[in-house]
Amino acid sequence: MSGPRYHRTREQDQRLVAFECQSCGYVSFPDEKQTCKRCGDAPATFEEVQLAERGEIKTFVVQEYLPDDIEVPQPLAIVDLPQADGSGESARVYGLLTETELDELSVGTEVEARFRELFDDGERPINSFKFSVPREVKR
Amino acid sequence: MTDAHVVGSGIIDFGEKYEWAFDDLLEGAYLDLVESVDHGIEPTKDIDAIWYGTLDIANEGSSGASVAHATGLFEKPATQIVNACATGSDAFRNAVQAVKAGDVEVALVIGAEKMLDSTEGLIGGAALERLWRGRGVTMPAFFGMRATRHMDQYETTREQIAEVSVKNHENGTKYPHAHQQFECSVDDVKESATVSYPLNLYDCCPVTDGACAVLVTNDERSREFTDAPVRVAGYGFSTDSFMRGDDLALTNFPASRQASSMAYERSGYGPDDIDVAEVHDCFSITELITYEDLGFCEQGEGGTFIDDGVPHLDGEKPVNPSGGLLSKGHPIGATGVAQIAEIFEQLRGEAGDVQVPDAEVGLQHNIGIGRNATGAVSCVNILER
Repeated sequence: MSGPRYHRTREQDQRLVAFECQSCGYVSFPDEKQTCKRCGDAPATFEEVQLAERGEIKTFVVQEYLPDDIEVPQPLAIVDLPQADGSGESARVYGLLTETELDELSVGTEVEARFRELFDDGERPINSFKFSVPREVKR
Repeated sequence: MTDAHVVGSGIIDFGEKYEWAFDDLLEGAYLDLVESVDHGIEPTKDIDAIWYGTLDIANEGSSGASVAHATGLFEKPATQIVNACATGSDAFRNAVQAVKAGDVEVALVIGAEKMLDSTEGLIGGAALERLWRGRGVTMPAFFGMRATRHMDQYETTREQIAEVSVKNHENGTKYPHAHQQFECSVDDVKESATVSYPLNLYDCCPVTDGACAVLVTNDERSREFTDAPVRVAGYGFSTDSFMRGDDLALTNFPASRQASSMAYERSGYGPDDIDVAEVHDCFSITELITYEDLGFCEQGEGGTFIDDGVPHLDGEKPVNPSGGLLSKGHPIGATGVAQIAEIFEQLRGEAGDVQVPDAEVGLQHNIGIGRNATGAVSCVNILER
């Protein structure tokens, strides 16, 4: 391999940059493409948009059974992240959660992206985000 | 244009088949088919082409040459189909299309998977790199997320979800080829180990080796093989993804709605006409939301549908009389073909202890998850006697 493939999306990982289809308003994250997943426009015109760091849990699970080298419980959610300026649609993303207590989590819970080292590929740290329940929202 | 008909099927008992190599699985299903065609078959002469479904998880069966090696059927077109967990159904669909087009008279459809020779396993394969694109999302997590949201949005209960597994395990004890032949209660399901909250061990299908084959032919040749052919009335295939932003895709599978609409339209049948169905129950929740996706009940009513006993063996619309993936097992390449084989037997009145009385129209549904757990493929076939 000419280089680690996850380096192609450093911008999206580290700054929550997304791409809005100018035909249908679909917000693509993390994919930066020339075709639209929703309306099929090809070629589509996309404009770069900034996502907010706070979003809402649409659904979640808590993974208890994973390969030995991965910490469990490992909560995982689908999160809608709105655009930072409040315009247009949200982006729908997968994200790990830092919370492991079930009573902290429900559909509709507000979460915040926290940027951190997600893992190490042996040569370099890979930085991305996990979601946490913001302190003032905690029950 | 001719119709396509299923005129024979062959299967091996699903299970942990350590003594059987991958080729043995294929050969076993093939021989069972050859020996069970009502009027007999001369395979090397009669079979024109082969559609072969496998993900080749054991890394022993890539390309159409593998099925030729396992069966002796050389000097013929042999196509490997790979389409996630819908692999076997899509192999069948492709064979049906070729027969209907008149290009092939007699097609062998065969699917096999040796799940237990995988060193990594399906959960191990979901490494955590690039999580937001679905890496690190295991299959129980992917389907569990539908359960969490369905319970929240429609007040579906944990017990209703568990009841799917209870029903299918009960059916599986009556189906001779099922891998896991035991009954369980709602409490057993709720008390089994958590795999990925809210799903527990008995909400998940087992890891199973298996193989199955069916024979497909045209109007002209069908009576050559049997007096009771089963007509392929319609088929559909589609893909979709929750990443396209539709909230429906957080609880259900739009791809299944699209595929079933295509199959209903082609066949002229609707959900009310289906007498028996084999559907994809890789997890208990998958079957519950599939009742809705196939139009067997209204959106959000899947829990009530099973509470009312409709999909039970003695209910109005029996679903998964074979025990489904939850009991029978889910050897990926074989799964869809085995569902077709069960509908074939049901419509011929040969389904033994799980026979649905007077079944005339049957539906088979098979979904797969691809692209790092972000996209779904769905295949639906409708058969009639």
